[in-house]
Amino acid sequence: MKLFGWPLRAVSSLLLLLQSGALSAATRPQYGGTLRVAIRSAPATLDPSEGADENSPESRNLSRLMFDTLVTLSDSGKVQPALAVTWQEQSGGQRWQLSLRRGVKFDDGSPLTPDIVASSLRTANLGWNINSSDESVLIELPQPNPALLAELALERNSIVKRSSGTLHGTGPFHVTDWRAGQELSLVATEDYWDGRAYLDSIQIDVVNPRDQMLSLELGKANLVNILPEQARKAVMEGRRISTSPPLELMALVFSRDRQSVDDGKLRESLALAIDRISIKNVLLQGEGEPAGTILPRWLNGYDFLFSKEADLARARQQVSELRSRPSWTLGYDSGDPLARLVAERIVLNARDAGLNLQLAAGMSDVRLVRIILPSLDPWVSLMTVAKIAGLPAPKHAGDGPEDLYRAENQLLRTDRMIPLFHLPLNYGLSPAVRNWVQRQDGIWDLRNLWIASETR
Amino acid sequence: MWGTMSTNIASYNSRVPEMFTAWLSCWRRISCVACIAILAAAASAADWSEQERLLSQKIAATTGPAAVSLEVVNRSSLSKTDAASIQGSLRTQLAALGLRFVKPEQSSAVVDVSLSENLASYVLVAQIRQGQNEPAVVMVSVPRSEPLNTVYEPAVMLLRKIQLWSQDEPILDVGVVDTSPPHIVVLEPNRIVLYSLQAARWQQEQAFMIPHTRWWPRDLRGRVLIRKDHLFDAYLPGTTCSSTGSSPLAVSCRESDDPWPIGTEPVTLKGFFSPTRNFFTGIVVPGVGRSGTVATFYTAAPIPRDRYTLWLFAGVDGRVHEIDDANEQLLTTNWGSDIAGVRTSCSSGFQILATSNSDGVSSDTVRAYEFPNRDPIPVSQPLEFSGSITSLWPESGGASAVAVSHNPRTGKYEAFRLAITCGQ
Repeated sequence: MKLFGWPLRAVSSLLLLLQSGALSAATRPQYGGTLRVAIRSAPATLDPSEGADENSPESRNLSRLMFDTLVTLSDSGKVQPALAVTWQEQSGGQRWQLSLRRGVKFDDGSPLTPDIVASSLRTANLGWNINSSDESVLIELPQPNPALLAELALERNSIVKRSSGTLHGTGPFHVTDWRAGQELSLVATEDYWDGRAYLDSIQIDVVNPRDQMLSLELGKANLVNILPEQARKAVMEGRRISTSPPLELMALVFSRDRQSVDDGKLRESLALAIDRISIKNVLLQGEGEPAGTILPRWLNGYDFLFSKEADLARARQQVSELRSRPSWTLGYDSGDPLARLVAERIVLNARDAGLNLQLAAGMSDVRLVRIILPSLDPWVSLMTVAKIAGLPAPKHAGDGPEDLYRAENQLLRTDRMIPLFHLPLNYGLSPAVRNWVQRQDGIWDLRNLWIASETR
Repeated sequence: MWGTMSTNIASYNSRVPEMFTAWLSCWRRISCVACIAILAAAASAADWSEQERLLSQKIAATTGPAAVSLEVVNRSSLSKTDAASIQGSLRTQLAALGLRFVKPEQSSAVVDVSLSENLASYVLVAQIRQGQNEPAVVMVSVPRSEPLNTVYEPAVMLLRKIQLWSQDEPILDVGVVDTSPPHIVVLEPNRIVLYSLQAARWQQEQAFMIPHTRWWPRDLRGRVLIRKDHLFDAYLPGTTCSSTGSSPLAVSCRESDDPWPIGTEPVTLKGFFSPTRNFFTGIVVPGVGRSGTVATFYTAAPIPRDRYTLWLFAGVDGRVHEIDDANEQLLTTNWGSDIAGVRTSCSSGFQILATSNSDGVSSDTVRAYEFPNRDPIPVSQPLEFSGSITSLWPESGGASAVAVSHNPRTGKYEAFRLAITCGQ
């Protein structure tokens, strides 16, 4: 594949993994064992529809362990049945009827019913009119949404039964112990409708990102986060690394709409001034792909139509032609060391072009953001990014590539966002972990994962 | 997702043998095998002509019948040959719509076509520049398809794989029925499907749902056995199905913890299979060895001796247990979890087929072994598969085995008959 850089990395990681003898596909999976996971931060709530951070990989992954959605997306982006087995679209995508799988139970033993599904979806989608019938739910939307099924596959639309302040799911695991912000213990649900997971339990602990590799080396964890800037070093050291497609967007987002033609030209000059290649090579240690679009090419197929090359001379010329040069402040997540490094470099690039940009804590004119693309459906990802970044919602006019191009082009033409990079999500794995699957959307699929017996 | 399927004129991808490559053979005690050879490959390839025509129309609608410069860049995983073919076709289509191709400096429009791709499709993108105007962008997409590739290795004792069937749905096992016309019984997680060979193609004859009240366990396993007094029995965890003997068939399924037949005819045992897991519990009937029970295991295979039978059990503990009436020992092998015995006219007359993934890099393999004493001696080259082997069972009669593998490139499950040819 010459199109994408990430598969090469993924393949090289996989080869390292395989050469270490960590995988032997001819061996049947073994039931039992505990997977020990170190995560960067624990979500404040386990409820996927009430305040869980949909831009957090941790929240998304934990949700998938405990809860199911009505449908899922395959790795090629196709809709697959899950808690719903069939569906019908009416009125051009404004009314949807989904028939539920029979015999599914929540972890408290109660059956999955259309009433509970409707209630769960109402909590997550206040604008939808949702009704239940004998074996199905009917969703009426304020306006047609051809991408509704892909939206239903998002974690925030997980089906949750809420009773007396307790959450119950139909997922492959259920909670036995939860201390907010510290640890989470899960055990396999024996009669899970899609087949009981091989693992007996999962222990999830919050560990400082910088200490996670040590946890892996000491055998305290089987699965840890690898920061983007650490990924190359980890591969060079022969660690077992899993790399997702580049699905985290790093971008600059302006807090206000373009104020004037000159303001637009200044924003364009800033985009031209940023040397993405140098940032990638030095600060990201070769990780990620420079971005000119919100969606990476593996989702949109046309990113090359948008420039991501630095052109300092043109930036300087454009800035010199403008009468006023306002001073902008650039904000970033102070708990993210990588964001700080990138922000500092962007300030230098901007100054080289004659722009007045300085770092700021708190409110700022421009903010460096990192947004996870949550879906393999490009429309859902585009709409989610727009929502998180505060951009106008793109209009879903059709399913063709030109429709997507127009919508994304329109968003970028607002000059509210300057895409910088698409970064992968990396994880480190212990040799005992078998059948590891990180889906194309970055989500762990732990249902088939098992722990080799000699290391349990 | 995007794109529309188009008609069958041009194809730029390798043809994909979809299914229906079948060699059916008798398996009676006679040494030679082959009966019927059927080869029918169905093709499935991305079809581009309609989308090329559509893109050409979109370009022409923007430029009109003008002098243009055309450049085509391949930014996808398409081969050079395919890219050149698309370029040639686009030129032809555009010329038919009145466009003339000139150098950029002589053109009224510059058309840059990129052959790109995303997760779901190939995307053909045309950027059209006319004077100082904003470039126009038009696109079309073609759903992706993936080629199939298998590897074949010659060997001393030749282990051959003959494709029986391939499908998207998981295959647990396939039974071959030596009738006229030949039939195959495909065991899926939720149904049993009977196909007959009609005009060199397998045609579905009947399908029977498998009712079950309990959710299937992960790594679901099952076995189908062709019978003499009725057509077949099928075994799944906690469920057994039996067919009638005459057409049209009827199949009855029931919840049952009855033991599954294991071994290779005529040397067989029955083993109890866990209804909620992917292994045998270790209770076998009649017993083996001194205790009568063995460690939990995935598969078992017998090696008949003059006065006793040596049994091999691929244990859940990852080791191969070698048990006879008096002794049990552990073998040091790189075998996987699936083994099967086959009875042939070659050498000792009994070989063990074992899965492996010894180098950990390539796909799974199956290799034939003999046991002159207590240690395995390889007697064939490893036979490679295009992915993980999900099932390996001896066929009814014991002269061959059926392996099922999952091809990660195509997503298909592929069932093969494995047969040994002597003295190569």
